Order: sequence, then structure tokens, then C-alpha cells
Amino acid sequence: MSIQTPKEIDEIEFGLMDPETYRDLSVTKVITADTYDDDGFPIDMGLMDTRLGVIDPGLECPTCGQHSGSCPGHFGHIELAAPVIHVGFTKLIRRLLRGTCRECSRLLLTEDEKQEFRDRLSEAHRLGRDPQDVLKAAIRQARKKDRCPHCGEVQYDIEHEKPTTYYEVQQVLTSEYSQRIAAAMQGGEDGERTTPDELAEETDIDISRVNEILSGSFRPRESQRAAIESTLDIDLTEEDTNKLMPSDIRDWFEAIPDEDIEVLGINSERSRPEWMILTVLPVPPVTTRPSITLDNGQRSEDDLTHKLVDIIRINQRFMENREAGAPQLIIEDLWELLQYHVTTFMDNEISGTPPARHRSGRPLKTLSQRLKGKEGRFRGSLSGKRVNFSARTVISPDPTLSLNEVGVPDRVAKEMTQTMNVTERNLEEARRYVSNGPEGHPGANYVRRPDGRRLKVTEKNCEQLAEKVEAGWEVNRHLVDGDIVIFNRQPSLHRMSIMAHEVVVMPYKTFRLNTVVCPPYNADFDGDEMNMHALQNEEARAEARVLMRVQEQILSPRFGENIIGAIQDHISGTYLLTHDNPRFNETQALDLLRATRIDELPEPSGVDDEGDPFWTGHDVFSELLPDDLNLEFTGTVGDDVIIEDGQLVEGTIAEDEVGEFGGEIVDRITKAYGNTRSRIFINEVSTLAMRAIMHFGFSIGIDDETIPEEAQARIDETIEDANDRVEELIEAYERGELESLPGRTLDETLEMKIMQTLSRARDNAGNIADENFTDDNPAVVMASSGARGSMLNLTQMAGCVGQQAVRGERINRGYEDRTLSHYEPNDLSAEAHGFVENSYTSGLTPREFFFHAMGGREGLVDTAVRTSKSGYLQRRLINALSELETQYDGTVRDTSDTIVQFEFGEDGTSPVKVSSGEENAIDVGEIAGRVLDSEFASEEERREFLGERREVTNLSEHADDRLVEGAEVTSDD
Amino acid sequence: MVDVSQHELVPEHTILEEEVLEEVLTEYDIDRTDLPKIKRTDPAIPDDAETGDVIKIVRNSRTTDQAVVYRLVVE
Repeated sequence: MSIQTPKEIDEIEFGLMDPETYRDLSVTKVITADTYDDDGFPIDMGLMDTRLGVIDPGLECPTCGQHSGSCPGHFGHIELAAPVIHVGFTKLIRRLLRGTCRECSRLLLTEDEKQEFRDRLSEAHRLGRDPQDVLKAAIRQARKKDRCPHCGEVQYDIEHEKPTTYYEVQQVLTSEYSQRIAAAMQGGEDGERTTPDELAEETDIDISRVNEILSGSFRPRESQRAAIESTLDIDLTEEDTNKLMPSDIRDWFEAIPDEDIEVLGINSERSRPEWMILTVLPVPPVTTRPSITLDNGQRSEDDLTHKLVDIIRINQRFMENREAGAPQLIIEDLWELLQYHVTTFMDNEISGTPPARHRSGRPLKTLSQRLKGKEGRFRGSLSGKRVNFSARTVISPDPTLSLNEVGVPDRVAKEMTQTMNVTERNLEEARRYVSNGPEGHPGANYVRRPDGRRLKVTEKNCEQLAEKVEAGWEVNRHLVDGDIVIFNRQPSLHRMSIMAHEVVVMPYKTFRLNTVVCPPYNADFDGDEMNMHALQNEEARAEARVLMRVQEQILSPRFGENIIGAIQDHISGTYLLTHDNPRFNETQALDLLRATRIDELPEPSGVDDEGDPFWTGHDVFSELLPDDLNLEFTGTVGDDVIIEDGQLVEGTIAEDEVGEFGGEIVDRITKAYGNTRSRIFINEVSTLAMRAIMHFGFSIGIDDETIPEEAQARIDETIEDANDRVEELIEAYERGELESLPGRTLDETLEMKIMQTLSRARDNAGNIADENFTDDNPAVVMASSGARGSMLNLTQMAGCVGQQAVRGERINRGYEDRTLSHYEPNDLSAEAHGFVENSYTSGLTPREFFFHAMGGREGLVDTAVRTSKSGYLQRRLINALSELETQYDGTVRDTSDTIVQFEFGEDGTSPVKVSSGEENAIDVGEIAGRVLDSEFASEEERREFLGERREVTNLSEHADDRLVEGAEVTSDD
Repeated sequence: MVDVSQHELVPEHTILEEEVLEEVLTEYDIDRTDLPKIKRTDPAIPDDAETGDVIKIVRNSRTTDQAVVYRLVVE
């Protein structure tokens, strides 16, 4: 097997192609539009000529002698009967026409100006700016010239009619000049009349000439016209457009001197402007436009072939007509048709041109369409490809897995393989895999002999094949427990969207994952699917294991704290376990810890009245903590959390302690004890929490959000009060007594005050509802532990849903002057503008429900719009930043080695490796002391390592001499 | 007119001496055109800075005490 080493590309140069190069490149001239003859053989000098490459298996390419698959294909060419414009260069062609002289073709710039642009060009090159800007500036400067500075020829405007037509616009004497002069001499309504004599006198034209001009028998000369125009203050010209044929343009461009081209930043050796006008069309090899044989034996040609057929047909008709001496009009029509076909051959999505269509009406997919856009060659085939060794299925939760693991369905494990290089040491193992065959689970699907032949392992041959396997073979074995695979959920918005997991082969059809990895993937189990990739070489596997494993991603580079931690029920569980510090007997305590590493309980926390030992929630939780952990901070519930020597002394464990997105304890353990300890901790916290929540039991129902009638009455009263106050505000407003707030209109003031009153009413209702909830109410537990939901959700369920808003205002839309036909016009009351008095438990009235739906709709629309917008924004950011790279010297540079940052992030640190928060800043001295203490057994060793005392090393003759003070070096011989 | 260079949020901009510049360029192994750019008209740079000069900007940083950046003055 040959290993191809990657080649480094030094330089890529882009330029135009000389028609002669096209001819040299070509293996044949293509003259017939037909593809195959009646026997199905390709026609010589036709579009499917075998010299252009072979696509049918078994044939040999007459050009390179290779067979289909290895023959790259070869270009042919079409000699165009008349030159046509290349659509890709229409803008540059327009610029050059405008910037060069119509007579001598030289750039309309003086020597000094040219020098200036040459300087600007080298400056742009030096600073890495776009040379295109210099070209634009030069053309702008050149266009200002009325006359050529070299030959003095008057220059005309060039107009460009998209896509490929150019006109020269000249100002010529209008044919109605005599009428216009006569009309001007009559004078307007208030203007003075001018006699021919006066005109003759003022313009210095002979009176007889003036009369001749007036009669229309003499066309005034240029100078005379100007004189008459200025005297009578009229315009005697009209625009005359003169179409520039591609051949004219080609002649024009051929005469542009090389030196002038260089001023515009065009390398004249590589790209002569006349090459933008095609005289030869290259015919792409058949390998780029393979024809497909349909089931019924009919051949179906590629879109490009269809287009080339059109071009050749028109090209031939053009030649025939020209030889037959057809009228100019017909020739021009055919020329335009040829131009159209060549244009659409290259780009079929030009605005202003109808796209060329297939017989079925589908627009043809021509060259530009193959490259452009999401499914084009660049984004679709080069930046992204479909891959082998991947699987996709629905995900479901499995709390018994470690967060590093992924449950892989057995049918996936049997399909996806790992390449195993057989050596003497794993020969037995390899044979076992092969002998299990493709159906048995840890089996194999393929083997590869040292000579490169790949053999499929089947049920029939697996036993025999197993015996043949020797060292040096490769075995594609099934995935087994412990293999490393890459797991991904789209959209892959950050690096934690793709992480490496260890395989656990399982029955059934879904991927299983531990619920604590849901936050980094942003996954849930309502039907989400995820992708898995099996790695195919040791390097990739090692890299994935070291860098990509879930435990290596616990800390997020976004904010430098943990993104993986306990979620939802885990948090309710730890809260229940630690909040009231309940007591457990031995059986219960052991049950709580059964899924952790702890198999022996610590000393009991105390002995109860009956004389039985008990363990408190704090003590059970403390079993999971590292023994020497010390931590003190203010926790989720507002109390102090104190951990001394790995013992939770005080405090409730909830979201801010062990949760995702910066749980303090998880964060500290990760940073101080490493990822592995942290992984163990998170796994154990989640299992302990699950046991705890199951011990206590946790459920929620309607009754948990229902409040006593007495409380409901108070809420109704509060809302009634608020309604009254709103009424008062409205009355004050209508009487004109309301005073406007600074910077607001009266209407805005009223709206604001109403909103304030109503939101206060809702808060009050919430507070009343709150009073009736006990601390062990599951909704309250969830809200205060941070597991799920907020106090606002509770208020809305039990108290009052409150004001519905669209665009941050009370609901104002609907009918004229009212929201619904149920209300009087201009009703400003709370009810008529979307205040929902009821709670979710008591139920909404139909009108309230409608307003609620309006507010809810806005939220949905907002998220939909936001995701698409932010997705595009992100794509652009990624494209802009993708080439920046941190170098070994700490600088951040782009691909041209321009420095972007002198030190990565201006401090050269990774957010993941830095302590979070000011208060627990890293004490470098203390850490260094701790490391040194643990590293060296004795003070002597330590001094030696630190270089205070060195041992003789015997490494080199002279290095040690200096150490051995005054020692005589004696040699044996 | 407000002199922004005196504002407390505007870091110190100084023109780099030619010799020091050489050292910087050798340290990073770059040409001066590989430096980040700053406009000649930028109000923060010293008045006598010319196109082609290199400005040294010393910022206060929360993580490192000072962050130094060099910028090439362009038209």
C-alpha cells in the first residue's frame, strides 16, 4: 500500500486563458452536434468522441490509454464562427472600454497619473489591500477625460446593456435642428424674438448660411452648432447609440499596450484583455458530463452536453449563412443567439436573460450552477461531504450510563466497524472476531489481506477465514464496549456539540446517553436524532480520547465554568436530600449510595431515640466529595454553603452548587481535582440524586397549584382594586387631569401607569398565592432549587396570569379603536386590552384565551426569526475568523502571517484554564508549594530538581567537569 | 475641541523608535506591513505620527496588567 504524502502548494495564480492554449490543450476539434451513431458508438469529432475520455467500463481511452475510472478526461474545443463575450468578465470589459481610448486603445491617463496608480497598486499589494479598488479608482479617473491625452480623439460614453451588449453613445446633431432653432427664435411666451440677422451677428455666421440652416438645407458644423446653442440657449443634439460587436471590442482590446494594462493591476503576460472575448470554446471532457443509460436502454445526456449541442448547431448555421452571403440582419440575429448559448453554457442564472430550459421545462444546470451555493461544488462537495462509518438514530436517556458513554444499538454495532491491525499479540482475538462472522455480535465484516485484497466475511466462510488470518492482516471488527466514537447533534454551534463517547453496546434501536450531557448538546428526548461516527485509525482514536471525550469538555470555553452538571430532577433530588437535612437509617443510606463507589457507610451521624444509628442527608452527600475539599459560598437558596475537609457542614445543595452552567462544587472539583474526578462526581451526584428523589417521591398535580377559597377571594379583591385604580386613571385621563411623565405623551403616561398598576396587581396575587404554598410543595421545591420553573410560573398557575403583551405594549390591535367586537370602541380598561385576571388553574375566559394566544404567538415568531438570523450571522463570523490561528509564539495570525493579536486574547490564557471569579483567584505560590511537596520524597531530591544541587550525570565528558570541583578526571586507559 | 488622547478610556499611544521597532519586528519575524493597521487620521495617535510609523499602544488589562499592541500607521 502506498502512502501519499500531502504536497504543499506554494502559489496559485489566476489569469485568463489564451485561445492558443485552448487549442493546444484540446485533443480534438468538435464539429458535429451529434453524440452517438445508430449503432451506439460515439461519433468522431462529436461531443462524445472517445478521445475526450472514456466513461463506459472496459473501454480504453485513445488519448491516455487508461480505463474508465483512472482516465481523467481530456478537453476538446469548438472554433466559434464569430467572437462572443465571456459573461464572467462583463464588468471588467465595461471598465476597460470606458477607461481606454476608442481610437488608439491607450489608457486615458497621463504619464503622471499612471505612475500614481502604479504606486498605489504596489502599496495595496504591500498592505494586502484589494487591488480591485485601485483599478476602480484608475477607471474613474480615466473616465473624466473627454479627449484622449495621447491621440486627442474625442471619447464617448459606453453603455452596457446586461448581460453582454455594449453601446457607444455619441451626441450628434438632431435631425429637427431647423425646427428647434426656429422655435427658439420665436421666443417663448415672454421671451424676445430673434431675427435671423441678429442670430448671424451674434454667432458670427454668414447671414446666407443662417438662412440655409433655417431652411434645413445646410447642416451646421460642430462649431456653428455650439455657437447657436449658446446664443439661443437650446440643445440641438440627440443621442446616437452605436452597438459594439464582440469583434470590435476584441480589436479594441488587442491594441491596448501591455504597459497600460499593468497600471490596472492586470498581468499582461498571463491575461490579455482580448482573451475575455472568446474565439475558441473549450469542450469539457466527457467525465465532467457523463451520460446516463436509462432502464429502457435510452441514453440521457448531461445538461452541459445539451448546451454544447445547441452551441455547435448555432455555430454551424452561422457559418453556413455567412458563406451563403446572408443579409447582415440574419447574421446579427445568429450572432446574438450564439452569444446567448455560450452565455447560458457558463451561467444559466443571469438576470435579464431567460434561462435555457430542458424539454421538461426545468432550467439547465450549467457550469456556474455546479459551483455556486449550498449544494455547489465548494460548499456541497469540498467543504462538506457524506461520510462512511456513520450512524444516525433517535436518542433516549439512560441514567445508568456514565456521562462518557453512549449506548449503541447492537444492529448499529454490527454494521459499523473498527479497523484492527492484526499482530502476533492480538491474533487470537482477531480470529475470534472473524469466526463469529458478520451476524454474531463481536464479529467482523471484512478482512484485508497483506496484498490489499478485501474479503467479505460471510456466515459461510467465517470459520475457514478465521484460520487464515495472520499477523499483517487487517480485520474490520464490530464495535464493542469501550471503543471510542464521535457523537454529534446538529446544529453544531459550539465545540461541545461534537464529543467523543465510549461505546456500550445495547439492545433496541436508539442511542442512549446520560441525561447530564443534554445541556452541551442542547438535546432532549422528544424525538431528537443524533449522529455517530466510528474512527478508523489509531491516531484519530487517540486524539478523540485525549481531547474530545465528554469529561474533557466539562468546562466550557465560553465562560470558563462547567457546562455539564446535575439537571432537573437531579437538582430537586439533592435539594430534598440536603435542604432539611433529613435522617436515614442504615438501609436507606446504603440504598441512596448504591450506585456510587461507596460501599461502606461512614460513622453514623448520630443515634435516634430508639437507639438506632442514623445518617443525615449532608453526611450522605459528603461521601461523594473529595476528602480535602474546602469551599464556602452563598448558595442557591440564599444560605451559606460550607464544605470543610470534604464534609458538607451547612447549606443546601441545588443548582448553584452542582448544576450545569457554573455549579460551584462541580467547577471547583474539575479545576482542582481534574476532569476524571469531576466526571466521577457528576455521575455519582446524579445517581445519588435519582435515588434521593425516588426515596422521597416527587410528583406534581393540579391540587398542588390550587389555593384555598379564602386566598382566592383575596386575590379577586386585589384584582378588583387594580381594576378600580385603572378606572380612576382612565377617568383622570379623560377629564384631562392626568399629568404626563417627563419625556412622554399623555397617552404613553396613561399606558405606563396602567401597566404598572396591573403588574403590581399580578405580583400581589402571586404573593397571596405564595403564602398558601408550603415549602415542600413540589412546584416550590423546583422553583427555589432552580431545577425547573420560576416563581413567576407559580404565580401564573395559582394567582393570576397577568397582562398579555405584543411588542411590549398592551394589546392594541384588532378592530378599529378596539381589540375585539365584544368591547365598546375606545375602551381603555384592563380587560379590553389583554389583562388576564384568571390563573391557569382557574381557567381563562374565551377572550382572555384569545389575548393569551396573541402574546404566545409573538414569542413563537420571535424565536423562529431569531434562530435563522443568528444562524446566518454565525456562518459569516465563522467564515471571517476561520483562518485565524494561534501560533507557537503566542501570536494570532491569519494565513498571510499578518498579526491579529500579539498575544492570544491579549493575555495568552485559555478561559478554561483560568479560575472563575475574582474571589477565588489562583494563588500560584501555594499551588507551587503543594506540587513540590507532593512531588519529592525528600528535601534533597527537591533541591536537586530545582537545580540547587546537581548530581554528576555522566552524560558528557565536559558537562560534568564543572560540577566535580577540582576533581581529577582519571581515565581507565 | 476635545483631545481624546487625554480621555481615561483611551490607552497610551506612542510612536515607536526605529531601533526598538527593529527589535519588535525580529522578535515576531515579520515585516512592518504584517502589523495591524491604524489610520493616520485616528484621533488617538500622536499628532506627529506619519504614515509608515509604528505606534505602540499599552492597554490596561484585567488579566495581564498591561497588553501591548503595535500598529502601523496607514494613510
